[in-house]
Amino acid sequence: MDRAETEAIREILGGNRDAYRVLMDRHFSSVARVAFRITGNEEDAEEATQEAFLRAYNKLHSFRQDSAFSTWIIRIAMNTAINIVERRKRDLSYRAPRIADEPSEAEGTVRVADQQAGPESELLGREAATLRETAMEELTPMERAAFTMRHMEEVPMAEIAEALHITVNSAKQAVFRAVAKLRRSLAPLAGGVR
Amino acid sequence: MKHFAEEDLIAYQLHESSNETAIRKHLEECAECAAVSESIAETLRVFSAEPVPQLDLEHNWQRLRGNLSILSVERSKPKWFGFRWLAWPAIGLAMATFLVVVFVALHGHHLVKTRPNLAINGHGPLTTEPSDPAVADHLDAAERLLTEVNNTQGPLDETTREQAHNLLLKNAVYVHTARQSGDVAQAAVLENLGRVLTTLDNEPETSHGTWRLRLEMNTSGLLLDIRILRQNDDQNQGATQ
Repeated sequence: MDRAETEAIREILGGNRDAYRVLMDRHFSSVARVAFRITGNEEDAEEATQEAFLRAYNKLHSFRQDSAFSTWIIRIAMNTAINIVERRKRDLSYRAPRIADEPSEAEGTVRVADQQAGPESELLGREAATLRETAMEELTPMERAAFTMRHMEEVPMAEIAEALHITVNSAKQAVFRAVAKLRRSLAPLAGGVR
Repeated sequence: MKHFAEEDLIAYQLHESSNETAIRKHLEECAECAAVSESIAETLRVFSAEPVPQLDLEHNWQRLRGNLSILSVERSKPKWFGFRWLAWPAIGLAMATFLVVVFVALHGHHLVKTRPNLAINGHGPLTTEPSDPAVADHLDAAERLLTEVNNTQGPLDETTREQAHNLLLKNAVYVHTARQSGDVAQAAVLENLGRVLTTLDNEPETSHGTWRLRLEMNTSGLLLDIRILRQNDDQNQGATQ
């Protein structure tokens, strides 16, 4: 950890909360990025980022300064984002309508609306995006976090495992399960899983 | 010919396989496994990193700052550290204090417990959490309702109005309980929640009333306060090092 961050933490622990801005300036974008990857939308990403920075601040006393603040805050952000995804999943499970090919009032399902007619490629693009989102929603929060961190952010498995408090092997299994699930979800686009 | 499992091929595509050379060789000879491997590669391409929206740092800092407490200075070594002759009297005093604490704990149920006023609604941190499961459920329901209302356009439907009304009635009881138990931080959040629920309960029929503006102003910090108040112990949620 560099001198500016060490100094900032010393000041914060000495009662100067504005010194936290130094740490936020440096790590906000990476925390927001991780939060977005895991939550999949801007609103929840912002909420997760806020909570992560607040938790880190309140636990600053327990932060061991021989390790990197960036690793620590990212770890907190991952867990906070997973909590938010779990919360949303729980809320949606009994509140939101489910998506189906044909809408049914009895079963509480709706069809994803084509809001605007456009060129075929645009339509296909929108359908593919919807399919991707739906596929990602099929993953558990843990699988989603492990997959996005490994594949999109290229975080090493060991770091993912440490952040999620699981073994490296469990982290790998979570990523592999995620890829397998996503491959099956994409089968309609690819013409079936081989 | 022995085929590789899907998991092995996924590990291969993610460069996590310990058997990479053997798999590569096998894929050159086995069309079936090569097809599965290509399908996995295609899946990874489809889910490759998309651009991440940039969040507003300044806005987030201002929002966060209001919830930051002033952290206390680290405790320094006691000045009387060298006075060893004080050790035995100090131990005796500590024992006596301990006995008093045990006595109060065993017989002091009727005493009103007070909790420190650590936060008043956006002007400080909420480091306490609801100990009553009913309050936690109430906050949970309130959070869901406010999130839904915040993300909804136009007038509220009948169900949402009814939920807001029911929550408002329960909220008054919880505010009273929080005040009685001396939990000022919780009482402050619940009072703020009560104001927002009252706005919802009295919402006019028009979709563009001033109530929405008022609601947005009131809920910006409240949602965060509710979440913090009802969140489980951080130490169990992976924030530890």
